[in-house]
Amino acid sequence: MAGERCGIVTRMPSSPGGFEMPLWRAVAVFRAASLAYVCLVALREADRYAHPLAGAGLVLLMAVWTAVTAFGYARPAWRRWPLLLADLGVVLAILLATPWVIGRAALHGGVPTLAVAWLAGPVLAWAVSGGRRRGTVAAVVIGGADLATRERISTSSLTGAILLLLAGAVVGHVARLAVTAEERLQRAVELEAATRERERLARGIHDSVLQVLALVQRRGADLPGEAGELARLAGEQEAALRALIGGAALPPATGGHDEVDVRTLLSRYARAGVSLSAPATPVPLPATVARELAAATAAALDNVERHAGGRAWVLVEDEGATVTVSVRDEGPGIPEGRLEEAQAQGRLGVAQSIRGRVADLGGTVRIASSPDAGTEVELTVPRSDR
Amino acid sequence: MTGEAGVERPVTGEAGVERPATGEAGVERPVTGEVGGPGRPVRVMIVDDHPMWREGVARDLTEAGHLVVATSGEGRQAVRVAPAARPDVVVLDLQLPDISGVAVIQGLREALPDVRVLMLSASGEQQSVLDAVKAGATGYLVKSAAPAEFLDAVRRTAAGEPVFTPGLAGLVLGEYRRLAATPAGPAGSSPGETPRLTERETEVLRLVAKGLSYKQVAQRLGLSHRTVQNHVQNTLGKLQLHNRVELTRYAIERGLD
Repeated sequence: MAGERCGIVTRMPSSPGGFEMPLWRAVAVFRAASLAYVCLVALREADRYAHPLAGAGLVLLMAVWTAVTAFGYARPAWRRWPLLLADLGVVLAILLATPWVIGRAALHGGVPTLAVAWLAGPVLAWAVSGGRRRGTVAAVVIGGADLATRERISTSSLTGAILLLLAGAVVGHVARLAVTAEERLQRAVELEAATRERERLARGIHDSVLQVLALVQRRGADLPGEAGELARLAGEQEAALRALIGGAALPPATGGHDEVDVRTLLSRYARAGVSLSAPATPVPLPATVARELAAATAAALDNVERHAGGRAWVLVEDEGATVTVSVRDEGPGIPEGRLEEAQAQGRLGVAQSIRGRVADLGGTVRIASSPDAGTEVELTVPRSDR
Repeated sequence: MTGEAGVERPVTGEAGVERPATGEAGVERPVTGEVGGPGRPVRVMIVDDHPMWREGVARDLTEAGHLVVATSGEGRQAVRVAPAARPDVVVLDLQLPDISGVAVIQGLREALPDVRVLMLSASGEQQSVLDAVKAGATGYLVKSAAPAEFLDAVRRTAAGEPVFTPGLAGLVLGEYRRLAATPAGPAGSSPGETPRLTERETEVLRLVAKGLSYKQVAQRLGLSHRTVQNHVQNTLGKLQLHNRVELTRYAIERGLD
């Protein structure tokens, strides 16, 4: 069991940001690849540069900076403003130096800029670190600087700037999604661990406490006086505990959003004297409907407690289009005309509060009562959304 | 577990009393007299991993004049000793340390086709109770049931009556609805194969699930006690048959692949 739980722990992302790691790595790879492109372009066009030596220096600087960022962004603690701003500054400086290094005439004559695609590096870094908005800001700064260094804005350079803007926004968006997904995964993993722990407890309780309590009740049931009373109490606790671990073992929600298993809600009413019959599979209802139905059932059970001695049987049925909960007792029954009388007197009887709740859900209540067969309350609610 | 392997003498304080005073209960089954009826003790095997339980249940049964032919704390052991012990009824805890309750029931029924299984469980493990019923168990009782209720359940199980708690009736009812709602399997199964309850059977099961005894159900519906019993039995029979058909089909599909 302990091993199992260790397994879960090691599967958990070690720290927040674990999902961002691949994104940062992708940015580093992009920078390295675009640097290779920069080198190729520089080698081919070097003889047309105004200052080839300065060009070589800048390419060297780009290589160094690529290495620095690859190293720096790999550390979560370093992914902060100083590095982000330095990144943006270095790339801006290279951009602004470009016209002088290459020469305006050469640029005009069709020589590509020095940084080519490499200038997208900080935009991607900003987007991954802070989402869509940061990515867009970096793209506007870099793209604007790139356009400003050109004498004449051609269609292709405009397209480049817009692509940069899109890249910033899209990568930022994806980075956000990754963070959200990671948070969800974290929660799911925690929930799974909690569920497992609960199931382990349930097994443990089943193997020991429940058996002994049931045995105490069984052996002591016929004893006179206090011993018999103790046995009865043990039996009640056994039933309560059984309902508790039985309910806890069920997943809180089944299928779809905001749906609740009615059985789970009703299981807390099962106690000594109240038997709960239900299907083996979940009976999902929208959370609000399920809660109201459970409240109406509780009201019916209260009524049994007050008037019929407390012994009750609850049956949950899933008919597909409807869900029915029946509550039956073997009490004296409701005298004829009693419900109408209460209503006429303006008292909101239990039956009325049940009817009200179920009517609000678009359901029906059937109450059958006779002196020799007790009372049966049948609550039926529709599954409107199916 | 503690290794009470094999066929045991009834565990009672009275040493040497291995058969109830009626004496007639030999190895050979008398032709007359219903099993479990007066004068004919029921041969019971107890399978439960809790030693205290085994002893308590065995004592109750022996005091009531039944014959505890074997006890076991493990499923595999139970299946192994059953042919020699030849119980009429196996009182089975669904949670055993080694194999599942369903596996025990299948093993028992292979060895002794006529054996009847009464499940006892301490917690309401709903799915496993349903699976056990589909595998062939005909009775179910929670462990907190009173001794008198338990003895009655053993007697009725031996007589071939299905012993239903309201909870089990609710499970069976839910299972039929689930089968009806689930579209027929992909392997060319026709809808006719899905077991369905008749209107009467549904009515009977619902009443049992709401806590009415067979007698009360009979009164309410104007039927005989026997007819009510038959209805309940049929609901189980259809489910068990369906389960066998499904298992066979699964085996064939697997075999042909």
